Amino acid sequence: MNLFDSLAVSGSALSAERQRSEIIAANMANAETTHTEAGGPFHRREVVFHSTVSSNFQLALHHEGVQGAPPHGSVHISEVVDDTTPPVMKYEPGHPDANKDGYVAYPAINPVMEMVDLMASVRAYQLNASAVTATKQMIQQTIEILKS
Amino acid sequence: MTTPTPLLSMLESYLKLTTAREQAISANMANVDTPGYHTHDINFAGELQNAMRKISNVGNGSESVPLIPASREVHGLLERPDGNNVSLDREGLLMAETQLQYALGIQLIRRQFHQIISAINGGSQS
Amino acid sequence: MSNSISDLGSIGNIGTLPKVQPAPKSEQSEGFGGVLAHALQQVNQLNGGAEQQIGNMLKGGSADMSSVMISVEKADIAFQLMMQVRNKIVSAYQDIEKMQF
Repeated sequence: MNLFDSLAVSGSALSAERQRSEIIAANMANAETTHTEAGGPFHRREVVFHSTVSSNFQLALHHEGVQGAPPHGSVHISEVVDDTTPPVMKYEPGHPDANKDGYVAYPAINPVMEMVDLMASVRAYQLNASAVTATKQMIQQTIEILKS
Repeated sequence: MTTPTPLLSMLESYLKLTTAREQAISANMANVDTPGYHTHDINFAGELQNAMRKISNVGNGSESVPLIPASREVHGLLERPDGNNVSLDREGLLMAETQLQYALGIQLIRRQFHQIISAINGGSQS
Repeated sequence: MSNSISDLGSIGNIGTLPKVQPAPKSEQSEGFGGVLAHALQQVNQLNGGAEQQIGNMLKGGSADMSSVMISVEKADIAFQLMMQVRNKIVSAYQDIEKMQF
């Protein structure tokens, strides 16, 4: 039950949101990529958040000083999954990546969706940054008890 | 030597509870995008009553009260399609309130200690 | 010196303080002791009241923070005042003791 654990939790959220925005940025950058090393169009990727929720018993243990799991509430990205949506087929016979029917497979990425996701990620980042500021302020005030 | 007065013990419990609440709020904010996460909080008023009762029971309040507030889920919040029910407004508001409570507690404790020190110094230097 | 002591009478109903006179010591110490005891009582009262108000405010009962703050400040000032009165009285007593007859 101390404020530094709070800092760690908020820090984990900042890190997770940053990774998420990186993935989204990669999606947006590759919205028109029809050819990758693995063959086929770029696949949209998504992140899955996972949170470490401790039970009250674990919280009590942690309070007694038992080290171990990251603090209650820490969030991390458990996996990055590929979107399984089938690619968008467009008719472009002259395109180097066209298949035998003249269709080119484009990634199924909707820029509007990506933009909304990015905004949500930025908003969450701001929220947790303000949480870090608040916690830091509280720690500073605690130190001031010793002053004068 | 100097046993803490009941007021000091009470302020100590108050600060501990405010810290615990701050932790819960931080955890909620961190998981605003985690699917299936439910908002957690502590029963601030109840735990404070408990602590105050223990303080008045333990002699003249000379021991600090062990305090491990239990975290529980908050009911009545809207759940989004991905199972997450963290409300940004609630968390932001609660965080501002908790910060102010903490500042208040700190100031009161500082004043208490100031008074004791000034009494020890005989009022010649405060 | 006697002027500043009567000025400190704002601590509340202390009334006029006994002037410093060449009189038997026991009488002087009684007068001063009474003054101090009275001041102490006042401070205790104010302090107790302030503590109660703080307790209520923390529990969330009365959200009247300004009156709590003012009570705390009043108790503090009364305390400081009492300390200074005590110091003056002690030094006055010591001055009397030094007097040669």
